[in-house]
Amino acid sequence: MVELKQVSVVYGEQHALRRVSLSVEKGEFVFLVGATGAGKSTLFKLLYGELRPTEGEVWVLGQPLHQIKPRELPYLRRRMGIVPQDYPLLPRKTVWENIAYGLRAIGYNETAVRQRVAQVLALVGLNEQARQMPSQLSGGEAQRAAIARAIANHPPLLIADEPTANLDPDTSWEIIELLMRINLRGATVIVSTHNRTIVDRACQRVVAMDRGQIISDVPRGGYPVELDRLYASVML
Amino acid sequence: MIDRLRFVLQETRESLLRNATMQAAAISTACIALVLLGGAGMALYKLDATAQSLPSRFEAEGVLKMSAPRAQAQQIKTQLEAMPEVERVTLTPREVAWEQEKQKLANDVNLADLPNPLPDKLTVRVRDPQTLPAVSARIAQSPLVEEVIDSRKELQTVLEVSRLVRWIGLGAGGLLLLAALILIYNTVRLTIFSRQREVRVMALLGATLRSIRLPFILEGMTQGVAGGVLAALLVLLTAAFLSDYVVSQWPFLKDMPPGLPPLVVMIGLPGLGALIGGLCAWWATLRYVRI
Ligand SMILES: Nc1ncnc2c1ncn2[C@@H]1O[C@H](COP(=O)(O)OP(=O)(O)O)[C@@H](O)[C@H]1O
Ligand SMILES: [Mg+2]
Repeated sequence: MVELKQVSVVYGEQHALRRVSLSVEKGEFVFLVGATGAGKSTLFKLLYGELRPTEGEVWVLGQPLHQIKPRELPYLRRRMGIVPQDYPLLPRKTVWENIAYGLRAIGYNETAVRQRVAQVLALVGLNEQARQMPSQLSGGEAQRAAIARAIANHPPLLIADEPTANLDPDTSWEIIELLMRINLRGATVIVSTHNRTIVDRACQRVVAMDRGQIISDVPRGGYPVELDRLYASVML
Repeated sequence: MIDRLRFVLQETRESLLRNATMQAAAISTACIALVLLGGAGMALYKLDATAQSLPSRFEAEGVLKMSAPRAQAQQIKTQLEAMPEVERVTLTPREVAWEQEKQKLANDVNLADLPNPLPDKLTVRVRDPQTLPAVSARIAQSPLVEEVIDSRKELQTVLEVSRLVRWIGLGAGGLLLLAALILIYNTVRLTIFSRQREVRVMALLGATLRSIRLPFILEGMTQGVAGGVLAALLVLLTAAFLSDYVVSQWPFLKDMPPGLPPLVVMIGLPGLGALIGGLCAWWATLRYVRI
């Protein structure tokens, strides 16, 4: 499903990723954890083709993203649900229109749009907020709207970059529960976070990153202790 | 398909509504540029048609010396007729010319008692106006020819006006067109920047580059067409007004050949506008819309 082979990304002088290798199978739920600047967003951008690796290979859904033609990228992205870290809902459109917009942009007709938007709104529990503007939503609702938009096209792979950032613990857990529910319906989910409580509670595979490298990968673990030490220094 | 079209048009409309001032600047510059180009084009067309229709383009007159014997004149006529460039040579004897002159002026002056002051005259018609100077020079070579009037003066005037119109109209029009290109390019660029979020959302959801770029290209084309329609109206109104005025001042100009048909202007200028607007916008999207 997802395979990184010895991938490095260099921004100018700085190494954002150093020879990272990672493999995610179909149906998995993976937490990507690490401090700010560890390289989580960079890794995600490689997965949806917004960034090309300086070295190494990136395979997603059987496609070589390190050498994909720009012309083919859109069709691969239609099979991925993407929730980027700074994912703004379009501010001048309602929740309903935000989701419909994406479907229209990839060629759904109006009947299919109406049907599909209703389905995903029900799935993420935003039926009530369908007609609201993004500014009227709480942080958790906005995240759920962004997730609804990402999964509207039934993607087999869902990538969410820090969907729990700036959310309180209960709301964070609601979001993770939603993502796990989507995972149970068959989608492979990769989600980055640095919320240790939810990682411990979810009991899923945890991949930990630090300064552009993967430092641990546990099949059913909690938050890695290595990171606690690192965090302590960051917090200070 | 219809839903698709509606989506694209909605996006275009939103782009157009974004920064109205910029749109107005781009449209009016395109309009002025197209007015100049369209006006110059119409004037050139008219001047060219006029130049084509001037008989003098084909004719030169050789005025013979008073002393030249008629037989010699006939000989020159035969020589000239032998030239391949020459279509026809007419010899107008001085008596005939004098009769014509007397008749023409009969109402104004009485010339009956005066001696004939006119010389014999050869009118040479060439097949191709290009060869007229050479043929004129050839006529002038004869010692019996007093003077060659290759009456290209009017033609020269028309051609000079043409050249002036071409330089001013096309030069200024071209410069303004360049300004319009830059303005349209810049307006579309700004729209793209102001719609970065939409572009990113569409791109991440898997919209193709072409479908993301299309609304911006349509925006540029709309600006060009709007400028073109305004320009066509302005040019046609001005032309109608001017030609009425000119004819009222110099009635003999009524016989001038007709100008460019209005329909050509009505379609041509907006078409040209759409083309350049679309091209600029396309170029801007190539540079600024990435996925
Ligand atoms: N566009 C960029 N240009 C230069 N450096 C960048 C850019 N994006 C990220 N970086 C650097 O790459 C490293 C990894 O960043 P990022 O992947 O955003 O980390 P994370 O998402 O884990 O916080 C950081 O040191 C960051 O400063
Ligand atoms: Mg990040």
